[in-house]
Amino acid sequence: MRVFSGQRAWLLQRVSVLLVLVLLAVGGLRLLFWPAPSYEDWRSFASSAHGAVLIVLFFGAVALHAWVGARDVVLDYLQHRAVRFAVLLLVATMLVAVTLRVLFVLGGQIA
Amino acid sequence: MKLRIYRFDPDTDSRPRMQDFDVQPGPTDRMLLDLLMRVRQVDDSVSFRRSCREGVCGSDAMNINGRNGLACIQPLASLKEPVVLRPLPGFPVVRDLIVDMTQFFAHYHSVRPWLINDQPPPERERLQSPADREALDGLYECILCACCSGFCPSYWWNPDKFVGPAGLLQAYRFIADSRDTATAERLDFLDDVYRLYRCRTIMNCTEVCPKGLSPSHAIERIRRTMVERSS
Amino acid sequence: MTRQRDTAPKFLNLFEIRFPVGAIASIGHRISGVLLILALPLAAQALERSLHSEAEFRALLAMRASPWASIATAVVAWAIAHHLLAGIRHLLMDLGVGHRLAAARASAWFVNVAALAVAIAILAAGLWSGGAR
Repeated sequence: MRVFSGQRAWLLQRVSVLLVLVLLAVGGLRLLFWPAPSYEDWRSFASSAHGAVLIVLFFGAVALHAWVGARDVVLDYLQHRAVRFAVLLLVATMLVAVTLRVLFVLGGQIA
Repeated sequence: MKLRIYRFDPDTDSRPRMQDFDVQPGPTDRMLLDLLMRVRQVDDSVSFRRSCREGVCGSDAMNINGRNGLACIQPLASLKEPVVLRPLPGFPVVRDLIVDMTQFFAHYHSVRPWLINDQPPPERERLQSPADREALDGLYECILCACCSGFCPSYWWNPDKFVGPAGLLQAYRFIADSRDTATAERLDFLDDVYRLYRCRTIMNCTEVCPKGLSPSHAIERIRRTMVERSS
Repeated sequence: MTRQRDTAPKFLNLFEIRFPVGAIASIGHRISGVLLILALPLAAQALERSLHSEAEFRALLAMRASPWASIATAVVAWAIAHHLLAGIRHLLMDLGVGHRLAAARASAWFVNVAALAVAIAILAAGLWSGGAR
C-alpha cells in the first residue's frame, strides 16, 4: 500500500495522537474546573453540534492512530501474507465500524 | 571462574547445548577474552571470532550474561558467575559463538556507505568547517560489531527487511556529511515501512553499543531530516 | 553454505536475554496499545449507553462494585496510563528531549512505575468502594 509509505504512516500516527492529546486536555480541563457533569450536562454536550464534532474527532483520530499501530504490530509478527491480510482487514473493519457507530449514536442525539 | 558456553557443531549436533567450564584466570587476565583463550586451552573446539583484543575490530561480539558486548573489553570483575556466553541473538549460528554476518553486512552495503559527490573534486580536499566535521562525531566510530542489531527486537522479527540500527547509523553518517550530495536519494531509499520504519525507539541498541554510540538518536535524526525535507 | 544458513539455529530465548528498562516500557506500550484497540468497541458501547438513560449514565460512572469489574477497570486504567505516558515519552524523544541514555532510562522507569501506580490506585478505589457496600 504505497499510500501508507513509511514516513506518511509515521506522521499520521504522530499527528492523530496530537489531536487526541489536545482533545483529552480540553476534556480534562473541563472536568477539572466544572467537576461531575450531570446526565443532562452530558446529553446537552453530546447533542450540540460542537460537542458531537469533538467526540467524533476524538474517535476518528483514535481510529487512525490505532490503525497505524495495529499495522506495525502485524507487520512485525505476521509474515504470512494471507494471515496478515485477514488480520488487517479485521482490524480495519472494526475501526470503521466503531467510528460509524459513534457517528450514528451522536447523529441520533442531535436529531 | 565458572562459565557456561553455548555450543553448536553443525557437523555433529542436531541442537545447540550449553557446556560448563571452570578455568583459573591468569595473573594478568583482565578481560573476558583472556578467560576465553584459557577455555580453549582446556577444550580447543570452543570457537569464537577475535582479533584486535582492544575493542576496535568488532570481531568478538557476543551475548554476555544476557546483554550483548565485546569479550575483549568486558572486564572479568564486572561479571557474575557463571558467566553465560551465547551468540548474538537473532543471527544464524555457524558454530558455537560464531554467527553468520552476511545479512548484517548486506544491509550495511544497501545504504551505500561511501561518499557520493559527483562535483569535480577540488585541488586539495572538500572543505568542511569544524562544525560540519563535528556532525560526524558519534557516527563514524562504529566498528560494525553488530551488538546493536543483535539486541534490537525489530531486527529479530524482520532481519531480512529492516536495515537495523548499525546500517541506519551508517546511513545517517553519510546523510549528515556536508560533502555528500546524495541526501535525497538516501532518504528516498530509507522511506519504507520496513527499511527504516520498523524502528520503535526501544533503544536497546544504544544500551549495548560498546563504543558508546547512539543508533537510536541517529535514527531519530534521519526521521527529522525526512520531515524537514518534505515540509 | 546456503542450506546450512536455512537450518542454522538462532539464539532467541527471550527469557535468557536481560532487557533494559526502556525495553520494558516499550513492550508495555505495545501491549497496552493492543488492549486499548480491543477495548475500543466497548468504549463506543459505553458512549451509547451513557447517553441512553440517566440510570445507565450513573452506572457507568460508578464503576460497578464487583471485584471483576474493578480488576477490568484497573487493567484498562493501566493500559491508558502506560500508553499515554510512554507515548508522550516517545513524542518528546522525537523532538530530541531525553534521548541520552541516562535521561531515557529515568523516563522509562517513571513511565513503568507511574502507570502501575495508577492501576493499583484505581484497583484499590474500586475494591474499597465495593467492600464498603
